[in-house]
Amino acid sequence: MSAAQQGHGPWSGIRVLDLTGLSGAYGTRVWAALGADVICVEPPAGNPIRNMPPLAPGHEGPEASLWWAYYAASKRSVVLDPTDSEDAAALVKLIGSADVVLDDAMPAAQEAYPWLADAGEGGLGVAGIVERFPHLTWVSITPFGMTGPRRHWRSSNLVAWASCGLASTVGFPHGPPLAPAGEIGVLMHGASLHAVIGSMMSVRARNLAAAADEPALGQTIDLSLQEVGLWLSPETGVPLYLDDQVPRPRAGNRRPVTSPMGMYPASDGYVAIIAIQPAHWNAVAQWVHELTGNEGILDEIFIDIVVRREALEAVDAWVEELTTRFTKQELFVEGQRRRIPITPVNTVGDLRHDPHLEAVGWWRPEEHPVLGTYTVPGSPFSTDGDWWAWQRAPMLGEHTDEVLSELT
Amino acid sequence: MTASANRRPLAGIRVFEISIAVAAPCCGKAMAHHGAEVFKVEAHSYPDVARAFGSAWARDPELADVFCDTGPYVPEMSAGKRSVGLELKQPEALEAAKRLLATCDVFLTNFAAPGIAELGLDYESVKQVRPDIIYAGMTGFGVDPDKPYYPFRAFGPNQAPLVGWDALTGFPHEEPAGIPSIAPPDYMGGLHTMLAIVTALHERDRTGEGRFIDISQLETTVSFLGPYLVGQDLGVPEPFRNGNRVSWAAPAGIYPCAGNDRWIAVEVPDDEAWQALAGLAEWSDVPAHDAVDQAALSTYPHATLADRIANHDAIDAELSAWTSRRSPQQAAAELQALGIAAYEVLNHTGVLADPQVHDRRPYSIAPSPRLGRDLFVRNPVRMSATPPYVTRAGPNMGGDTVDVLTEIGYAHDDVEQMVADGTAFVDARPDVVLERPFDRWYESVGIAEFYDAEGNITGGNQ
Repeated sequence: MSAAQQGHGPWSGIRVLDLTGLSGAYGTRVWAALGADVICVEPPAGNPIRNMPPLAPGHEGPEASLWWAYYAASKRSVVLDPTDSEDAAALVKLIGSADVVLDDAMPAAQEAYPWLADAGEGGLGVAGIVERFPHLTWVSITPFGMTGPRRHWRSSNLVAWASCGLASTVGFPHGPPLAPAGEIGVLMHGASLHAVIGSMMSVRARNLAAAADEPALGQTIDLSLQEVGLWLSPETGVPLYLDDQVPRPRAGNRRPVTSPMGMYPASDGYVAIIAIQPAHWNAVAQWVHELTGNEGILDEIFIDIVVRREALEAVDAWVEELTTRFTKQELFVEGQRRRIPITPVNTVGDLRHDPHLEAVGWWRPEEHPVLGTYTVPGSPFSTDGDWWAWQRAPMLGEHTDEVLSELT
Repeated sequence: MTASANRRPLAGIRVFEISIAVAAPCCGKAMAHHGAEVFKVEAHSYPDVARAFGSAWARDPELADVFCDTGPYVPEMSAGKRSVGLELKQPEALEAAKRLLATCDVFLTNFAAPGIAELGLDYESVKQVRPDIIYAGMTGFGVDPDKPYYPFRAFGPNQAPLVGWDALTGFPHEEPAGIPSIAPPDYMGGLHTMLAIVTALHERDRTGEGRFIDISQLETTVSFLGPYLVGQDLGVPEPFRNGNRVSWAAPAGIYPCAGNDRWIAVEVPDDEAWQALAGLAEWSDVPAHDAVDQAALSTYPHATLADRIANHDAIDAELSAWTSRRSPQQAAAELQALGIAAYEVLNHTGVLADPQVHDRRPYSIAPSPRLGRDLFVRNPVRMSATPPYVTRAGPNMGGDTVDVLTEIGYAHDDVEQMVADGTAFVDARPDVVLERPFDRWYESVGIAEFYDAEGNITGGNQ
């Protein structure tokens, strides 16, 4: 039984049908843990996320994917085959019981759902569904939106980064553009957060209308991955460019604005340093001086960021004499003590053993009937209330009978 | 069309924002787009970097007083807000802030926890003024002084390296490229904060009680690494940066096109799309490369995902040869026709010329007190009944001080006295209205909807 079924969490009583893959999964994971009854409606073969590596070593089949194990947490799983008329009718009923539905099918599919036709609803599309269920919020998460000449074009996390202008600024000058953070899917997760926030707004508007005895307020939400990318990249966006006419080409992992600024080698990896303010530079210079006896670096002339830009190679080399002597964690702790904006370039392994995350008790154990026991990240933020209820991801169709029997 | 003004999701919600740069401001801006009244309380003695950046064309001694209103980041981060100028380190200003806070539902900040406590605006202090306040503090490392990183500074561009995103950006044989020019972690922090605030409002509707929300950005952004963090306990090898490749589809990458620095992003989603791509006649014209596994080549159309991942270098070489003979637009159109995800790697000028951008107009132009009108990105959540929008760009720094303070009960004379004492400030030059160099092109550029001061869409997409 899910947390929502037990009436726990601030969103208990709100039912969300999740028909999406990756573009909805992160946001609905958070919503589910906050008490919403999030039901993943899966085809008999399972949600595509169930196939995504990494898989738990030694496992295969629908429960093996760690993407599913993580992103489906606290949700329920219902298997329905929309080509089966009985299942299609159940799906329509289930939609009628929901407050919010999120779908990431391509626009052509969302414009006319065949399973609604099979259920005798006359081949309804998104607009028709909301007419039929006037209290409903229907969220369409699509590559380029539900309108426009390229609405039928496909996308992915990588392709969306390309389409919003941001990838063109990431990478080295000699190499191709890059997706930020590779395959972890930052843009997809951003889209899912927008989708859930929009849904919460819609539920709020509906409740306000109901409290004022106004007609039911349902609506559609049209969310484009390309536009999600535009929203989170003003640094590379059109308004900035139109204003200053300065192109923003790929510049690698250091910004040639001044030194030190960007990534520097440590004995076991890299650190990132940003020294723009005079106090930051003075602290860096003093540290280099203490370690290497470098007198020149203390010269007042280097307080000027422009001078440091002109002497970029020399200053970078001095700074590297410092950074290469220590581990990235040593540089982090000591550098921060000296009030320098410095951070380690952490790997996943580093973060799993990060002393702060350990000290705040972030990690929690999870037991899974197939995968065994493992440690999972804690909540993405905390409050002084009893908000969170985390449960393991559902197995394929685990809640089909339970949910369908509630509908009768 | 007229946006439905009387049923906005956050109508009547008042937000007190004290913020810097991106993380909290982008949250406050999104709340304004849904109808909240957002007060950005700011000071000349510790100005927001969005103010300090200004605009290059406004670097003129005669414009010194209004330079802070000219940066494109001002509307990008704060369109729709009202700016209240209060030097909070002065007791009278703090008193005014608390009187404003008493009328607010939400307190939003991304000042570091030690800094906000120094200003006297920690949760306990704010709660005394407004017992049911929803207090959202976006700290770098939480609010517990006993925890290891509590005193450390979280600096926007340093967040991506800290939370593992930078190390995963780049090619395996090179240093990590990182993402120093952009700040996705800040926007993701802002979205989590907004989700938390709306949740707290939903809860307050039922309980009547406020809430303390601690958005420690370390935890928030590390959350995106979930599947890989889980894998660490189960013996999954640590992930390593792998260019633009992904573990569940191949080929995937960014490939060169005809022209200088022109690229296309391609991801082949499934076997069917791969068979269509492998069936393209031209592939056989491509000269064999040393790296090519000839046996795999001969079975290309039947190659499984595992085969394609194993021969990714060879496939990339051939696909690059194919894309290099085409413009990005032509290659994208051909690949999309085969069911393959593909798009030109747009830069700024590419976004300006993009047909989808022209059709959907993801930018807004709204009245600006300093610039006549100004351009900024729209909220991407396109709601059919309660669309998000704002009726004003800007705001001018301190431009709303008098109105806001008199609305909460100050007499005009009192406000004037505070301004004279330097505890509050107002827009020094309300008479100065400038124009961005690009202003006259707004009509022809065709990427924005034009909003008037009532929220009506005027001109634009008609």
